[in-house]
Amino acid sequence: MPEPAIVAEDLTYRYGDLLAVDHISFTVAPGEILGFLGPNGAGKSTTVKMLTGQLRPASGRALLLGIDVARHPKQVQARIGVCFEQPNLYEELSGVDNLRLFANLFNVRDVDINALLRRVGLDGRGADLVGRYSKGMKQRLMIARALVHRPAILFLDEPTEGLDPTSAEAIRRVMLEEQQRGATIFLTTHDMYEADRLCHRVAFINSGKIVALDTPHNLKQQYGKRMVRAEVVGSDGKLLTREIILDRPETPTEIADLLAHQQVVTLHSEEATLEDIFIRLTGRGLA
Amino acid sequence: MSLRRILALLYREAVQGPKNFIFIFTIVVPLGLSLALGLIFGTFFSGKPRLGIVDPGASRLTQLAEAMPGLMVRRYASEAEVRDATANGAVDVGLLVSADFDQRVLSGQHGSLTVYVWGESLLRDRVLIGTAIADWLRELAGHEPPVTIATTILGANNELTWQQRLLPLLVLMTVVFGALMLPASSLVSEKQRRTLNALLVTPATRAEIYVAKGVLGVALSTVMALLVLALNGAWSSQIWLVLLVLFLGAVLSAEFGILLGVLVNDINSLFATVKALGLLLYAPALIGLFPMIPQWIAQFFPTFYMVDPVISIVQRGATLSDIAGQLAVLAVMIVALAGVLRAAPTVRLTV
Repeated sequence: MPEPAIVAEDLTYRYGDLLAVDHISFTVAPGEILGFLGPNGAGKSTTVKMLTGQLRPASGRALLLGIDVARHPKQVQARIGVCFEQPNLYEELSGVDNLRLFANLFNVRDVDINALLRRVGLDGRGADLVGRYSKGMKQRLMIARALVHRPAILFLDEPTEGLDPTSAEAIRRVMLEEQQRGATIFLTTHDMYEADRLCHRVAFINSGKIVALDTPHNLKQQYGKRMVRAEVVGSDGKLLTREIILDRPETPTEIADLLAHQQVVTLHSEEATLEDIFIRLTGRGLA
Repeated sequence: MSLRRILALLYREAVQGPKNFIFIFTIVVPLGLSLALGLIFGTFFSGKPRLGIVDPGASRLTQLAEAMPGLMVRRYASEAEVRDATANGAVDVGLLVSADFDQRVLSGQHGSLTVYVWGESLLRDRVLIGTAIADWLRELAGHEPPVTIATTILGANNELTWQQRLLPLLVLMTVVFGALMLPASSLVSEKQRRTLNALLVTPATRAEIYVAKGVLGVALSTVMALLVLALNGAWSSQIWLVLLVLFLGAVLSAEFGILLGVLVNDINSLFATVKALGLLLYAPALIGLFPMIPQWIAQFFPTFYMVDPVISIVQRGATLSDIAGQLAVLAVMIVALAGVLRAAPTVRLTV
C-alpha cells in the first residue's frame, strides 16, 4: 500500500481556552481528493494551517509525504500548493509577475507561465495588473499560483466561493486535471454539490472534531433516507405532498396503493444530500 | 538563506517601494529640510570658501591657508589648471604663488601674487579670502598688525552653528525614518493584504523575507544620509568610516522596523506607535540641541550610538579608534535585535 500523502495524528490546537481542533486523526491517500466540510468556526482553517505549517499543533502531529510538518515546515511547503479563500495576490504586479515571483520562490526555472494562465482561462490577461482583475480572475490566478511548482499536494480553501459558474467550472476542471496528474487535493468547501461531484471522500468537522469521514456514497447509504416524493390531488381538490421512505418491507405496497388510489401529479425519487447528513449528524447547517 | 529568493522578494519591494509615500517621504523630507536650513542660515550652495593654489615653491602661504579652519584649499599643478578651475566655479579664488615668493618677501624685495576670482562667487567668500591673504602675507613678512582690535562676543557663544547643531537630528530622521518605516510599513501592508500568508507557505523563510524588506530601507536611508551630510557641508575625508556607521545604524533601524511590523497588525497602529516612540528615537539629537541639558543623558538612548559617531567624524574629525566603543554597542544591539526577531513567533505574521 502506498504511503498516505497526508497523515493527521491526534491533531489539537487551542486559541486560549477555546479548543479549536480536538484530537483529530485521518489520512489522505496519494491522488485522492478529500473534501473537508464544516460550518464556520468548526476548525477547518485551523486544521489546514496546521497541515501547511502555518500553525504548530498543541499536540499530535501532521505528516505530509512522510515529512513531519512542525519539524520541517519549509521542506513540506516546497512540495505543497496552497490556494487561500481570500484573494492575496500582489495587485500592483501583473498576473505574469505574480506567477514569476512565486516560481522564483519555489526555485522553478522552466515554468511555462503562459500555458499556466491558459489552463485557468487567463490567457491574454497575464500582462494586466492584478488590481484590475475581477474576483473570478483573481481566484483563477491564485489557483495558477498554487500550481506553479507542480505540487504533490494541493490545499484549496473555498476555491469556487462566490464565483460565476464559468469561473467555478474552470477551477473544478483544473482540480480534476491535477488529480489525474497524481496530485492529492485537500478541498475545503461549503459547496455540497462540488464536494459530492469531485471528492473521493469527505470529512465532516464540527466543533473541532471529525464527526464522519467516508465516500459521499457510503455516507448517503449510512445516514441518508431514500424516498419517493409525490404530489397528489386531495379530496378537496388541493395538491398534497406524500413521502414514502424506500428500503422498507412495506414500501412496495405503499407505492402500489399510491398509484392505484391517488391522482398523482408528480413523482420523484429523492436521496439525502450531504448537507442533510451533516445536519442530521451535528444538528446544525453548514453555513 | 537563498540569495535567489531574496532577490525575487527584493524585486517586488523595489517595484512597490517608489509607490509608497514613505519611500517618497524618506527622500523628500531630508532634502527639503537640508535645503531649508541652507536657505535659512545662508549657507545653501555656499559652504566654505574655496581657494585654489598653484605653489611650485612650497610657500608658507599655502601652509597658512591649509591650516585655516573654515576654508577649503585645493592644490593645482599649473596656472592653466587653477585658471580653469576658477573659471568653472570649482574654486572661488585661484592663487598663483611663484617658486621664489617666500624668498623675495623675506629678503625685502617686492613680490607679486596672481589672483583669479570666479565671477559668480559670493562677495562674502571673496572678502574672506582676500582678508586672509593679507593676514598671511603680514605673517610671512614678520610684520606686527598696525592696530590692536579688542573683540567682545555678545549673545550666546556657541562653538557650533545652528545648522551644525541640527545636523544630528537631520541624520537621525533620515536613517531612522527610512530604514525603520519602509520595512515596517511593507510588512504591515503585506499582513493586511494577506500576501504574507502566501509567502509563508513557500520555501521562503522569515529571515529571507525580513532581509528583502530591510535591504531597500537600509540602502535608501544610507544614501540619503550621505546626501544630507553633503548638503549640510559635513562631508568627511573619512567617508568610508561614515558610511560604515550609517550602514550599521540603518541596519539597527531596519531590524527595529521589522520588529514593529511583526508586532503591529495595521498601518494606523504602526504610525501611532512610531509617533509615540518618536521622542525616544530622536532624543539624542534633541538633547544635543540644548547644551544646558547634561549631554551624557543621550547615551541612554540606542539611537545615540548611530548618530554620535557620525557627528564625531564629520564635525570633530574622530577616527575609527575614537568611535570603536560606540560601534561595538551598535553591533551588540544589532545582534540582540536579530535574536529577538528570530524568537518572534511566526503566528504574529498572520492576521
